[in-house]
Amino acid sequence: MVRKKELFLFLLLLLLAIFFIYVYGYVKQTKEEIFTRVEQNKILNIKYYFQNIENEIIKSNDINDSSSLVYLLSDKDTRKKYEKNLALLITPGIKYIYILAKDEKERFRFLLDASRTDKAHFYQKFDVKDEKYKEVYRVASPQIIRQKNMENLSLTYLYPIKVNGEVIALLSVDITTRIEIVISSLIEPLETFFVILIIFVFLLILMTSVQVFHYFITRKKIFTDPLTELFNRNYLQEIAPMINLEKYSVAMLDLDRFKVINDTYGHKTGDFVLAQSSQILKKSTRDSDIVIRYGGEEFLLFIYNREEDKQESATAICERIRKNISEYTFNYEKEEIKMQVSIGLHENPSLEKNLNEAIKIADKMLYIAKNRGRNRVVTYNEKLKNSTESKTKDINFVKLALEEERVVCHYQPIYNHADKKIFKYEALVRLIAKDGEVIFPAHFLPELKHTNVHYKLTQRILLNVFEEFENRENSVSINVNFSDLINADIENSIISALTSNPDLASRITFEILESDEITDITLFKQKIELLHSLGAKVSIDDFGSGYSNFRTILDIEANYLKIDGSLIKNIDKNEKDFKVVKSIIHFAKEANMKTIAEFVHSKEVYDKLLQLDLDYMQGYYIAKPSASLLNEKELFA
Amino acid sequence: MKILLILIFSSLLLIASSANQHQVKILEKIFSEISIGKDIKIWSDNQDILIGLTNNQNFSTTQNSKDANVIILKDATSIDKITENQTVFVLEYKLLSTVKKSFGALFWKKGRPNIVIVEPRIKMQSIEITKELEPYLEEKIW
Repeated sequence: MVRKKELFLFLLLLLLAIFFIYVYGYVKQTKEEIFTRVEQNKILNIKYYFQNIENEIIKSNDINDSSSLVYLLSDKDTRKKYEKNLALLITPGIKYIYILAKDEKERFRFLLDASRTDKAHFYQKFDVKDEKYKEVYRVASPQIIRQKNMENLSLTYLYPIKVNGEVIALLSVDITTRIEIVISSLIEPLETFFVILIIFVFLLILMTSVQVFHYFITRKKIFTDPLTELFNRNYLQEIAPMINLEKYSVAMLDLDRFKVINDTYGHKTGDFVLAQSSQILKKSTRDSDIVIRYGGEEFLLFIYNREEDKQESATAICERIRKNISEYTFNYEKEEIKMQVSIGLHENPSLEKNLNEAIKIADKMLYIAKNRGRNRVVTYNEKLKNSTESKTKDINFVKLALEEERVVCHYQPIYNHADKKIFKYEALVRLIAKDGEVIFPAHFLPELKHTNVHYKLTQRILLNVFEEFENRENSVSINVNFSDLINADIENSIISALTSNPDLASRITFEILESDEITDITLFKQKIELLHSLGAKVSIDDFGSGYSNFRTILDIEANYLKIDGSLIKNIDKNEKDFKVVKSIIHFAKEANMKTIAEFVHSKEVYDKLLQLDLDYMQGYYIAKPSASLLNEKELFA
Repeated sequence: MKILLILIFSSLLLIASSANQHQVKILEKIFSEISIGKDIKIWSDNQDILIGLTNNQNFSTTQNSKDANVIILKDATSIDKITENQTVFVLEYKLLSTVKKSFGALFWKKGRPNIVIVEPRIKMQSIEITKELEPYLEEKIW
């Protein structure tokens, strides 16, 4: 997109150039018109004068043919008399006046020369080439010769001297270019001014063209991400004010667990996967769609909603992208890598205040897609708005809930199916609205991402759980993420509570999300070691849903491995999931970790899991989370 | 300013040389249409014309007036250069009267080139002309 300023300037200059050229042409035309008028006026005057001279010569001297005229003018005194009369016409603009007559050999000869310079002798031959001289004799009417390449002469006027309609001689006058020179000298500064102006404007046009050309050349560099060859955020910034949100749907895409690729295979492989994924993304979209690399492995997609192409909805395009990426095998240096993408889609971004708001909503959808197990498209629509978004609580709601002590924990039993006892509970945060409604984490956690309120909330949960279990014998799991662990306040709270109560510490398990956010493995390991040193246990949450870094998991010596719900929920129907879970269990045993299956939502799933060497189970089939701690009798209700 | 002066001076030179070239071309034509009974060797008191006429197949030129058999005279002051056996062509009409042995003239009248070949003089000097030059023949000098 050419910057409007340059284009406007270019057009303005072009318009100016056209205007100046027009004015220049007009001045030139006017000059020519002045010349013509002056010339006509001059000729008219000469003509009248010549008529008088003709009458004078012919009538006063009884001339009846050419030879009598020659005879008359052969007399020096007579010649002088008429030369004197004719010389009255001599002005700075009229250079020569003379009478010519044809001799017997059809050559022109001077009969009289009234010129003040370059005077000819009587009857001197005069070599003239122009046919107009002969034409005067033929047509017996005045002729004008426009002189070219004749020094100082612009035109010659030939006037026939007639007797009884027959031409016997001709009066000739040579007009100089003097008046034209005077007019030209007056107009020349104006012409020069316009010429300079036109040159100047053309130079400016040239400069602007060079600038525009340079802009086009550099535009690609400025707006393209070199690795993925997709548009970058500069381009987004460029188009943001111009994009018509009524014509586009907005989607946020994020490659699932991409960090693991970098950690496992190195950055070169990561770059390769990123570049390849971008190409798949590009191929899965249409020319009218705009794909932007938004961040590291995050992409922003503007899907053009064509009137004529209603069949292919934005959701269908997103689904195609998801499918194409998940089905593709990335081959890099003998490694076969699979990749998945989560997509948050806002189909009607024009409903939002601005593009930023629309992107924010698409980002929220992306977050939901990630929370729901990744590799999926979550579309924002009215239904979702009513069911989910209307319940979405902003950061102030959470702040108020913290201040008014409306942060509570619900506990879901983790069941040991071998001895049919509750092994421990998982603490799950809930906010209680002022009207008593229980608000689930999905409705407020996304808003808190990386905010201080999130850390305060984590601290409050920790305090609640510590208080609840301080004087009990039950064990409990608490969800924390990497950013919580590296927060100094949270770390101090944990150290303080667990150091003073080793018994409590032995009953606490920290469930850590195996997340892309773990940017510093060394620091992560240090924090896990700290938890171990305090006597607490560590569980890896959501294991198996993405690209797990096995080496890191082995290094941190986790006590438990919680298998991701996406692998469990269909295990009774999906043989592949069954095999994966079986392998995970095998791996966990080898690594001396106990295994927990979450999302056990039906009897079928429960029964299927019994076939595996699994340690613990958790899910709605066994028990839903509850504000109070359930006992064994209350399970499987 | 210096460049402007050079440009003006160059333009004037160009105009002058253009007029000279025109004159030289006509002279070349005239001398290729006449015969004086021997190879024509021209000298002129005008160096520009003399240089212009060199390298012509129909005649040759010389820098020494004594070696020439045809003199092209521009200025009356050079009359003393003319020797007895030389044929004279003048570049002014009035020189035809001044130099009695001059057989013809090329001159500018009212800005137009004019040629006059004086018939009695070419006959007297046994100068032959082609038909091309006949329209310029004059019986006498007016």
